[in-house]
Amino acid sequence: MYRANDVDVRLSSVRNLWIDLLLLAIFLVFLYFFVSLTRHWISPIQTNVAIDLSLSSLPKYSFYSLIRALIAYVCSLIFTLIFGYFAAKNKTAEKIILPLLDIGQSIPVVGFLPGLVLGLISVFPKNNLGLELACIIMIFTGQVWNMTFSYYASLKAVPTQFHELSKVLNIGWFKKLTTVELPYSFTNLVWNSLMSMAGGWFFLTICESFSLSDKNFVLPGLGSYMKLAIDKQDTVAMWAGVLAMMAVIISIDFLFWRPILAWSQKFRLEDAQDQTKDIPFIMLLLQDSNIVNWMVTKFNEFSTWRATPKPASQITLQPLVFEVGRKQARSVISRMGRLKKHIPDVISERLPHMLIIGLLLFGMIYVYELVRPLTLTQWKQIALGTMATTLRVVASIVLASLWAIPVGIWIGSSPKLTKFFQPIVQVAASFPAPMLYPLVMLVLIELHIGFGFGSMFLMLLGVQWYVLFNVLAGASTISLELRDTVNLMGLSRISKWKKLYLPSVFPATVTGWVTSAGGAWNASIVAEYFQYGGKTLSTLGLGAMISKATDTGDFAMLTGCLLVMCTTVIGLNRSVWHQLYYIAENRFKYDR
Amino acid sequence: MDNTVLEVKNISHSFVLDSGQKIKVLTDIDLSLYKGEILAILGPSGSGKSTLLRIISGLLAQSSGQVLNGDVELHGPNPLVSLVFQSFALLPWFTVYENVELGLESLKLSPAETKERVKRAIDIVGLEGFEEAYPKELSGGMKQRVGIARALAMQRPILCMDEPFSALDVLTAETLRREVLNIWLSGQLGAKTVVLVTHNIIEAASLGKRILVMGTNPGHIRVMVKNDLPYPRDEKTNGFKALVENLHDVITELLIPDTPEWVPPALLSSSVETLPNVPINEVVGLVEVIARQGGRADSFLMANHLRKDFSQVLFLAKAAEILDLVDTPKNFIVLTDLGRKFLAGDVNRRKKIINEVLKRLKICQMLEEELRKVEDYSLGYDDVIKLLHEWQPNENSNTSFETLIQWARYGELFGYNADTQTVYLDLGQDNT
Repeated sequence: MYRANDVDVRLSSVRNLWIDLLLLAIFLVFLYFFVSLTRHWISPIQTNVAIDLSLSSLPKYSFYSLIRALIAYVCSLIFTLIFGYFAAKNKTAEKIILPLLDIGQSIPVVGFLPGLVLGLISVFPKNNLGLELACIIMIFTGQVWNMTFSYYASLKAVPTQFHELSKVLNIGWFKKLTTVELPYSFTNLVWNSLMSMAGGWFFLTICESFSLSDKNFVLPGLGSYMKLAIDKQDTVAMWAGVLAMMAVIISIDFLFWRPILAWSQKFRLEDAQDQTKDIPFIMLLLQDSNIVNWMVTKFNEFSTWRATPKPASQITLQPLVFEVGRKQARSVISRMGRLKKHIPDVISERLPHMLIIGLLLFGMIYVYELVRPLTLTQWKQIALGTMATTLRVVASIVLASLWAIPVGIWIGSSPKLTKFFQPIVQVAASFPAPMLYPLVMLVLIELHIGFGFGSMFLMLLGVQWYVLFNVLAGASTISLELRDTVNLMGLSRISKWKKLYLPSVFPATVTGWVTSAGGAWNASIVAEYFQYGGKTLSTLGLGAMISKATDTGDFAMLTGCLLVMCTTVIGLNRSVWHQLYYIAENRFKYDR
Repeated sequence: MDNTVLEVKNISHSFVLDSGQKIKVLTDIDLSLYKGEILAILGPSGSGKSTLLRIISGLLAQSSGQVLNGDVELHGPNPLVSLVFQSFALLPWFTVYENVELGLESLKLSPAETKERVKRAIDIVGLEGFEEAYPKELSGGMKQRVGIARALAMQRPILCMDEPFSALDVLTAETLRREVLNIWLSGQLGAKTVVLVTHNIIEAASLGKRILVMGTNPGHIRVMVKNDLPYPRDEKTNGFKALVENLHDVITELLIPDTPEWVPPALLSSSVETLPNVPINEVVGLVEVIARQGGRADSFLMANHLRKDFSQVLFLAKAAEILDLVDTPKNFIVLTDLGRKFLAGDVNRRKKIINEVLKRLKICQMLEEELRKVEDYSLGYDDVIKLLHEWQPNENSNTSFETLIQWARYGELFGYNADTQTVYLDLGQDNT
């Protein structure tokens, strides 16, 4: 018996060594590419970086793109943790941050890329840092609003008993944050991060290669590699780029998110029975690693060291310091309170609103200056373009729904199919659709489909996965009793769909629609104005007008288009989507 | 017998867990349903009574055996059956009227006829005036009325009810139970056969013309009790009391047999106790209550006293018996000497006692032996599950694991680290 165990131990320690080496290797690779990327940042600015289309340079570009995405994500996370917390804790901050988040979530950020690039290049005229920053900020603005909002919502949803508990235990705000609030919102934060980072790839591929009135701004990365491959019509490189992107997305999912998600299960409030079942392979590997185990032990030692009671002499000191600080703070507050009394209550309560309105007015004056040169015919053109693009957005969502809802329900109603397809759909939804545009264009040209319709299909490419992903998730939660009921009633297949399946997935479908509409507006900027093999394809549409204005450096037009697009999207959100959300919540939720 | 509406022949059913483990939930069920009777299916949780109902309804395909209507074997959703669920199963996006109407859709009736039937069903359950209400506007009792109206409107010969009153509060359940009986007695919807699944003995005794008592591991028919007391039944009559008493005895005998069935000695050594899946704190609580009642209590009265389901109390009593804290002669629960000692001790003393008792259990001895074979006295979750499956092939290993660890943690015999998923030998007790 013991002999066999000895062999086991030896075998497992050999295995541990390999895992450690693997982790070390991954770390070194990241370090290498990070250093070489930073070297690129500080190198003199070039508008034309030579991108190497050979396959051997693909790993390098993949890592560059990945590092950009990770930096943007970390920035988003920091922003989320700070502003989400403030919005949840401070009434005034809440009044200012929430509307900003709502607007940030609604506007198509791609349109703001040119302004951002020009601004940052003027700040860093000597090196590439401005461009890099523009790219990272773009990804950041694409994902941060959603994350902050979800974190804010989870903080608000912390049950009262936890607040009361922390009061009774008399723990400080930071301790409360780390022991109560963060663990409580963790699962939600992880899911949202996963989706946000997936959305980031779309912006990344656009930002890495971008032209503004004859100037090409190129950053070495997967997006620019793909762009060049498309321009040169190098099919091998195109496919290689697609595969590399897929590899990056899948490995991020497997090596990063899945383990974190599995780990986050222990923070769930409900009693989860099946925790032990789906431990990702990578998690098992990590458990075997000496390095990881060492870090975990050290971390635990560290945190228990912090938790151990301090000697009495130290205990007495700290509250004293606090007490003094608190007294000072109290006197400041009371002085402010006295001041406040002189101001009418209406104003002090409305202050945040007035601040926002003031900012808006200021912005409007500024914008008005910019759009003044636009003539009436130009405004008419913009109106026409808006209608065309709105139609395309709606049509692409309708088309996507036509196949994605039935397929989503079909897959979602079977646990076996769901288990198989869900990760695949998730990867498909993460894939940046613009990378596939040229391949789809080939088919469209072959079929003699005009670009007016064609651009709608390009938008559809990204949109459909959001619908499918959400419907699938919704269908997998339809209650067994309801299904039994309609089965026993002998309803026809059509009737079952009309009366059970479609209403059941309605709330999830609305979520899918809202997400995909946001995606479609952003995509229109790329999809309606498409450079392919040296030619430029363009059609009537607001997206095309934005891209064209960017290309020609017509800032009056660009501002006018952006203004109209933002207003349209926010208007649609307020009217159509909010209405649908309301109906979904109130009529179509099944509570047991 | 030409009075038969449905025949269940030799049905067995097994589930396959995600882990690949196959669990038999029903075995050798033979049963006939007769016209115009109420059949109550009574059994503790885990006796497969709901599974049997879903097989009768054709919503679940049995592993083996047949469901027959005359000579015709039935497959798929059973057109003779309408079903009332414990959780109501109403479509939230339809009104009361539309929910009831839904069941008539496949009949292709004329609009006038449909309207007439829906109105009548709503009328029978007393929901007039609520036709336009949505389910979420209704209380639990009203929701279940909709569920019953929906089933009645379908006018199918067999009405199946799966614990229809157990999600309701006591008073509402009592009212609704009486109304269902009245509707059935008045014959307002033809000679209906009703199949009622329940774990409530009084409910079975007051409604059932025949009462089918089911046993566990795997679910099987224990006995069929005839009940010819006239409707409506008065719970205070001697006949009713005797029937209830009789049903208690059957279920008690089922869960806590006085004389263990004879097992060949060779098997005895390898057979391992099944620990009832109950929280150990509740077991301690039960023992305390019995001590307060003078060390001896009737298990049925105890269930009433604790407002608990009878079979739940029996499971607790069985757990206490395995731990040697009580004896269970007939349907009484009696404190043992060890039980008294246990109650007299403080928490550490109590843990010590449980520790010693657990060490005498076969299952703990075997696990300890396995743990001692390993260098650091610890085994992974998967390994322990595998062992449990080997020792108790008919049990759900995950449940057994949960119970065993829970008890062993209390007795400080084994520990379990959820982060590393390892079971280890708790050496703390040996040192004290």
